[in-house]
Amino acid sequence: MSTAHSKKASAFLKNKDYTAWHDGTFWSVREKRDRMAAGLPEWEQLRDKASAIKRHTLSHLADYLEEFASNAEKNGVIVHWAADAGEFNAIVLEILRAHGVRKMVKSKSMLTEECGMNPFLEAHGIEVVETDLGERIIQLKGQKPSHIVMPAIHLSHDDVGRLFEEKGISDDIGNHDPTYLTWRARLSLRGEFLSAEAGMTGANFGIASTGDIVVCTNEGNADMSTSCPKLHIAAIGLEKIIPNYDSLAVFQRMLCRAGTGQPTTTYTSHFRGPRPGGEMHIVLVDNGRSSWLSDEDHRETLKCIRCGSCMNTCPVYRRSGGFSYSYFIPGPIGINLGMLRSPKDHSGNLSACTLCLSCQSVCPVKVNLGDQIYRWRQQLRDFGTYNMGKKMLSDTLSLGYGNKGLYDTATALFPAANIIPESVIPFRLRFPKKPFHSLIKELEDE
Amino acid sequence: MSSREDILARCRAAEPENYEMPVLDDIQAIKYNDTQKQFISMSEAVGGKVVLLEERSVDELVRELFPQASQIASNLPEVTIATLNPDIVQEAGDLDGTDVGIIRGSFGVAENGCIWIPQTMKEKAVCFISENLVILLPKDRIVNNMHEAYREIEFGPYPYGTFISGPSKTADIAQVLVMGAQAARSVTVVLV
Repeated sequence: MSTAHSKKASAFLKNKDYTAWHDGTFWSVREKRDRMAAGLPEWEQLRDKASAIKRHTLSHLADYLEEFASNAEKNGVIVHWAADAGEFNAIVLEILRAHGVRKMVKSKSMLTEECGMNPFLEAHGIEVVETDLGERIIQLKGQKPSHIVMPAIHLSHDDVGRLFEEKGISDDIGNHDPTYLTWRARLSLRGEFLSAEAGMTGANFGIASTGDIVVCTNEGNADMSTSCPKLHIAAIGLEKIIPNYDSLAVFQRMLCRAGTGQPTTTYTSHFRGPRPGGEMHIVLVDNGRSSWLSDEDHRETLKCIRCGSCMNTCPVYRRSGGFSYSYFIPGPIGINLGMLRSPKDHSGNLSACTLCLSCQSVCPVKVNLGDQIYRWRQQLRDFGTYNMGKKMLSDTLSLGYGNKGLYDTATALFPAANIIPESVIPFRLRFPKKPFHSLIKELEDE
Repeated sequence: MSSREDILARCRAAEPENYEMPVLDDIQAIKYNDTQKQFISMSEAVGGKVVLLEERSVDELVRELFPQASQIASNLPEVTIATLNPDIVQEAGDLDGTDVGIIRGSFGVAENGCIWIPQTMKEKAVCFISENLVILLPKDRIVNNMHEAYREIEFGPYPYGTFISGPSKTADIAQVLVMGAQAARSVTVVLV
């Protein structure tokens, strides 16, 4: 009874040492998150507020988008609207062409990954250089991220060391010390920042009342990407807009505490307009979001702030890794986003959940991730990906459990199966000698 | 219909019934008896260093902390030892190779060691490109938490500002924490 996810997971699980390291690494991030949450007596209150702010914003999304765009325009930013990935990519290409850009440095953005922007721009002759260290590593390796916050978590320091030697980034052959490798990458990226003609960032938040976009990083790569080139393009999904600074305070306090167990990211940067002599563009991207908003069962997914805490805590993610999922975002949030994107392509991920609901009990904005996965599972037959054997088994069980007479008769007969010898079936059945209801009755009579 | 109008129309049609904006004034946010002590301890926890200026000048302190520094960038009037001024360099790249950058922060945040840095120089690169960053901070300007911080923030003459908490860092290679990813390798906060 295997699914697309479980097949890939069984390959992942072959390397027992690595699986144990992966599981332990993410569990320790989860523990750091717990210490951060416990350090703030108001943590649960913040989660309630964060969830309520997002619900409110989504119920007035069009108004907030208009307010954001109009303030950004007042600040001298050029605002674009992209209905889908194709339009987004075309807008970015047009801006870059108008400025004669040959090389663009960029900080982390799951949205550009979603839109397939890098390969599109590269096909049009524009070099795109990822500047978040993890993203840079997987870009050089030709891979996809295996976690949204720690994209190169699937590679060891030896893997990275060998990669850097091959690409000429490190020259002390055999030195795979993470500090040495990080500093070699720093040196190499410094040259990229200084020679690029454009810088791209995503945004963690767009502030409707001021038109700021807010970008949170630990490396400072978003700031480097926008400090050297004169042209800044920011890619933002519609759901990133929040009302004002009072709301931002709530999210800023939770994002990093929940995601990596730090009290804050090193940099929380506010971009409110172009740099002197430069140009700033914001591209607001729908690409499915407005239709997810109309989906009553699943619109809560749009509350997500992409902290990654649901993956860190997920017992299935920790033991199967990001590449076992078919959607480019793994873990509980990725299962849900993949289903919204294309149930047919991604329903194989629905099995990657034990319904333990750990994800939704740590989610800083209270997205009901596990509940939604449960709802999706009820529709598997519609997607043509359900398992006939499981369906028959569960239908039979429901029949038995739903009818006391049938249940008692069946359980009274089961002990007879105990005498079937192992030569007939390859395992020994052991049912209790008396049915459950008879045992309970005997206990009550005593 | 343009994409803008189309997207807005689709959102309006899709929006759920009204959910009220929650009251945020009643958040019982953490406060500290001694905000300066908490700020210092958080700054150190995130890999930064905090010193009191005391009777020294900023020049003397920077010389003391970075005796080897040859390229020093600042536009602050109290810094006379600067070799580069981010207001008058031709372009951001001219600041590459800066050993020490000296900038001013408006206020600090006790709960997480953040310092609000409004851009007050033409090339903000000085805040990131410098190997070592020195941030001057008034010692009586430390708020408890980010709720208070977001009521205080103001921009300078340029449309950019950032909260900085400690040096640039990453753990992207095998989850080993390394200071000095793409921006400053060290941050020294000077309480003045």
